Amino acid sequence: MKTLITTILLICSVAFTFAQNGDYSAQLEASVKKLDQARSVADFQALEKTFVQVGNAQKTEWLPYYYAAFCNAKAGFLLQDDGEKIEPYSVRGEAQIKKSESLAKGDSKVLAEIYVVQAMIYRTKVFISPMTMGRQFGPLSDQFLKKAQKLDAVNPRAIYLEAWTKYYTPKLWGGDKDLAKELAGKAIQKLPATAFSVMPHWGKTESEALLK
Amino acid sequence: MISNAFKTKLILIAGSLLFALAAGAQTRINGEVTGPLGEAVPGAQVRIKGSPSGTMADSLGKFDFVTTRRGSQTLVVSSLGFKTHQQTLTVADSTLTLSITLDDAANTLEAVTVSAGSFEASDKAKGASLTPIDAYTVAGNGGDISNALRSLPGAQQVGEREGLFVRGGTSDETRMFVDGTLMKNPNYASVPGIMQPARINLFLFKGVLFNTGGYSALYGQAMSSALILESIDLPEKSSANFSVFPSNLGAGFQHLSKSARSSYGGGIAYSNQRLYNQVVPQHPDYYHGPEYTSANVNIRFKTGKTGMLKGYVAFAQSNIGVRNADTDSASLRSDFRLKNPNTYGTISYRTDLGTNWRLVAGMAYAFDKNRIHNRVLSGGDEPIVLPHAPFSTKNSDITLRSHFAQGRAVLTRSFERNQAFRFGGETFYFHDVQHYNGNAATLRDQLSAVFMEGDIHLGEHVAFRPGLRAEYSSLLRKAVVAPRASLGYRLATGSQLNLAYGVFYQKPENRYLFENRHIGFSRSEHYVLNYSKKANNRFFRTEVYYKKYKNLVRTFPDITLSGDGYAKGLELFWRDKKTVRNLDYWVTYTYLDTKRNYLDYPESIRPSFTSPHTFTIAVKRFFQGIATNVNVSYSYAAGRPYYDIRASGDAGTRIYDSGTARPYNVLNLHVSKMMTFFKKSKFKDYSGFAFGANNILGTKQVFGYNYAYNGNFKTPITLPAKRFYFIGVFMSLGIDRTEDLLDQNQ
Repeated sequence: MKTLITTILLICSVAFTFAQNGDYSAQLEASVKKLDQARSVADFQALEKTFVQVGNAQKTEWLPYYYAAFCNAKAGFLLQDDGEKIEPYSVRGEAQIKKSESLAKGDSKVLAEIYVVQAMIYRTKVFISPMTMGRQFGPLSDQFLKKAQKLDAVNPRAIYLEAWTKYYTPKLWGGDKDLAKELAGKAIQKLPATAFSVMPHWGKTESEALLK
Repeated sequence: MISNAFKTKLILIAGSLLFALAAGAQTRINGEVTGPLGEAVPGAQVRIKGSPSGTMADSLGKFDFVTTRRGSQTLVVSSLGFKTHQQTLTVADSTLTLSITLDDAANTLEAVTVSAGSFEASDKAKGASLTPIDAYTVAGNGGDISNALRSLPGAQQVGEREGLFVRGGTSDETRMFVDGTLMKNPNYASVPGIMQPARINLFLFKGVLFNTGGYSALYGQAMSSALILESIDLPEKSSANFSVFPSNLGAGFQHLSKSARSSYGGGIAYSNQRLYNQVVPQHPDYYHGPEYTSANVNIRFKTGKTGMLKGYVAFAQSNIGVRNADTDSASLRSDFRLKNPNTYGTISYRTDLGTNWRLVAGMAYAFDKNRIHNRVLSGGDEPIVLPHAPFSTKNSDITLRSHFAQGRAVLTRSFERNQAFRFGGETFYFHDVQHYNGNAATLRDQLSAVFMEGDIHLGEHVAFRPGLRAEYSSLLRKAVVAPRASLGYRLATGSQLNLAYGVFYQKPENRYLFENRHIGFSRSEHYVLNYSKKANNRFFRTEVYYKKYKNLVRTFPDITLSGDGYAKGLELFWRDKKTVRNLDYWVTYTYLDTKRNYLDYPESIRPSFTSPHTFTIAVKRFFQGIATNVNVSYSYAAGRPYYDIRASGDAGTRIYDSGTARPYNVLNLHVSKMMTFFKKSKFKDYSGFAFGANNILGTKQVFGYNYAYNGNFKTPITLPAKRFYFIGVFMSLGIDRTEDLLDQNQ
């Protein structure tokens, strides 16, 4: 009898949940794996949508919004010579990273990750029009990078972004290509070669690009 | 112990439940609708495309409905303010639970705005749209906004005179407005044949709207073009700056209060070309200056939450003495002496009144004194009096004193989706006193205007801006009504079609009014069609227009308003910041077909200040490694017509001689290197070193000819010197104003 009821309940519950979206961590893991392979604006654009979906289904996790914002930041960096085209990415990215921060619950290592992406988002705003937006968003970007480094001095992504900034800032305003390369090398060293995890681990390709 | 009957019942219930799920006619679809960041979208419409199945999400964005459809279906989710979402579903027997994220509509499309006839350079510019700095850094502009804008389509290259000659109009048909009020004398008073610099510092402005046709009903008294400038609010921080170019010295400061709610500042500049003219010989013989002295102060306050009050007062004076060969006699010279002190003050105020209303008000005052002496000089440069024509009229003393005051207020009521209704009024007071060889004449005019304008969105892609303006002049004793309208139609993201129409009235210039005060307004009518596309740091724009002039001033035999004319043309603009990294260039082409019958013209002819084809290119490149900016500009204008028009025997005038001057060809270069002198100091300095040359190829420019009174000789009107050079250093403490300083001193 017991078996019968169990069987019926099991059949029913399977029937009910069959169409449910796959579980959160599986989806997140799959998306992050895809993100590790993403290269083009289209890749990041598609992944951003997925991360937002994953985030909205759960609503309490900082990581999906963090990745969505990161996708927007990457799209902005890839489009840096395209001016106004970057704006929608910057706007969405800024909202997503702020959302992510509000869910991060004050973990300083996590906040450091978030601020790095936030600094990148503000950098994309500078790309829209360096002349008109650079004065406001350039310093803001630097400020968030400093905040990130204060929370986690050895965060490799923060080191990478510092390297990027040093690389592309004119010498007159404190740019230094040699120092940039040194920092990029340091960022790569700090990146762990451990097993896959959904936690932020990007930065290798980006840092290597600066060393070329 | 459970009975068999109960068992059977249970199995039946479970079986029927399964049957309903597996083979049943209906499938449940449920889930929730969220915005981009997971916030609930209450009231969203959820339905299966092409079927009556659907529902509305509840206050938490949750929905739940059943459908009888099977197989591949399209789910449509929509809500106001969000982009409609479509997704394909495979509807089978099991319940579908969905989490749907809608995108903000605002992120995908900005509100469409009307932009026919105008070029905007704003500090909010994105991509390849112009910023004020872009306009100011065109090589060879000499720190003059009008000159800077000559590299944009619609403007003519008129090398012997300041101001903007737009689409067949004279420079008097372009008016400059600062925060709404008229800036009556933007340049130092004219000297025949020599372009005069601007009085006002370019860097006071954060927004420049150069309208070459069909401008807003908020402005008037300009038949061709309105140059609408918006001054900066508070500075970013306190700063001081200095510049030393051998013939131009300048210093200024800005002080921002600790609360960052108010600031004050000032500046002085002195320029004397005398030394320069000794090194680089000038063709007219300058025996005084040219000397330009200016000083200004400004004060700015934030008032309340949204209010901003700004005041600016400036004094500027030119002092020039030149001698030229006389056009009528090889043995004589003519002497032109000018002293032009000018005081200009303006106050502007703006504030929100509640959530939907906004007030913008302004006042301006200007006093301009223009004192000119003309003398005939003997071979030994002694003034002489010759009692016969044409020399008898060549000795003159003219003093013009012009008082000008204006008050203006505009109220805006804003509505949803960027719609608005604006209305307001303004009044101008003009008081001009002319002394001509001791004879005084006075003109007084109170010119008042009321206006209204609406921004209406006809659907998502169409913006319409109708306007109406009524003006009355107490001097002319005439009232006129000028309708205006423009329309913007967005074709796709970044590309737009614009239309504009307008009627524009303008008071004739004072020199004619002194002789006939009640003649009335001159009138022009504009029709403008414009297409623009902005994308990926590139900007393309083309415009065609037709302009009709009526009631232009005729001076022969009497001063009347019987003149007329037309202008039509095609203009192209292309800017590209993308193709080459760190290189920014724009190219323009202006085609102009215009004729008018006015002043002493005997018939309808092409005016001498117009060229049928104008081509300009402005190139800027920043060399990052050496922190150096190189700006180059090149302009070409097909030869302008010139005429010898004099009275003929039969009470009319005749063209005794005419021709086409050689084409205008000018290449300007401007190089600036940025550096820091005091690396260790507490105050970081942004300094630099700049040099440049105008007309670097030394091309001989002929703008037209001055004829002798009997037509026997003609003297070319050309540049005072083949080339113009400048070199100097500048320094700014506290704030990066390197670009600014560079351009004031070109």
